[in-house]
Amino acid sequence: MFYKIIQTIDRFLSIPEAKAHCDVPCGIYDPITAQINALTVVRMMDLMAGLTEGDDQARVDFHNSMSRYIAVKEEHAEKAKHEVRVIWGDFIKDTHVEKYPELPGLVHKIMQLGSKSRQTADRKNGVAFVEAVNQFAEIFWGIKEVKIKKAKAPYAPALEMVYPDL
Amino acid sequence: MLKLIKVTGNSLSPFFLSGDYVLIKTYRPAFKNIQSGSTIVFNHPDYGLLIKRVLANHPDSEALQVAGNHEDSISSQKLGLIPYSHISGIVIFHIKKPRIQI
Repeated sequence: MFYKIIQTIDRFLSIPEAKAHCDVPCGIYDPITAQINALTVVRMMDLMAGLTEGDDQARVDFHNSMSRYIAVKEEHAEKAKHEVRVIWGDFIKDTHVEKYPELPGLVHKIMQLGSKSRQTADRKNGVAFVEAVNQFAEIFWGIKEVKIKKAKAPYAPALEMVYPDL
Repeated sequence: MLKLIKVTGNSLSPFFLSGDYVLIKTYRPAFKNIQSGSTIVFNHPDYGLLIKRVLANHPDSEALQVAGNHEDSISSQKLGLIPYSHISGIVIFHIKKPRIQI
């Protein structure tokens, strides 16, 4: 409510904007955002596969749910790609690529798998997307010299994920 | 004197997210008492109006060190010390944008 009042004032008075964006590198990078977004893609694929059409009312519900799942799948695949691009562009340095020469190819693969996960509802593409983002996370933590552990996500889909072992 | 500022970008997440508003106190004599951990809005000659956390206040040199102390952070060095004269204000109130859940 209070926020809406301020937002209305903003529309009329154009409140000045202060940037907190990462074009000024804040140094806070974590691939977990990309990993969770990729995992969400698989979750949406599973929910899509689990939907069944029924009578007329159910069909309306079916299309409503299916539309939402697709929209979320699209959004999260793109978010995962974006998060990987931020780390790739702002954090990764030449010396990291020298140490992990597979990195450029992996980032390209993530971009392609992210797009493939949007274009299709094939779980195999989604799982490959998660695996590639996890490989990226493993390299990221390797660069940071932080030990990792692999564990199943504590929520559906319980795919194996890479976490920093702090 | 108080002023409303809109936050853009998510580098201060999860505390401040894009679309949030902050109320800042622009009373200049208060700048020398800014505590580490405070959030300030300031004008940077290269980057424009920014919102960042304060790492340290150096009242003797009338300047602040801002941004992260993270090992990868180049922002502190890149931003340099922020003179009091560049500070627009200290954040005293945070109006959060409603967090949407799907």
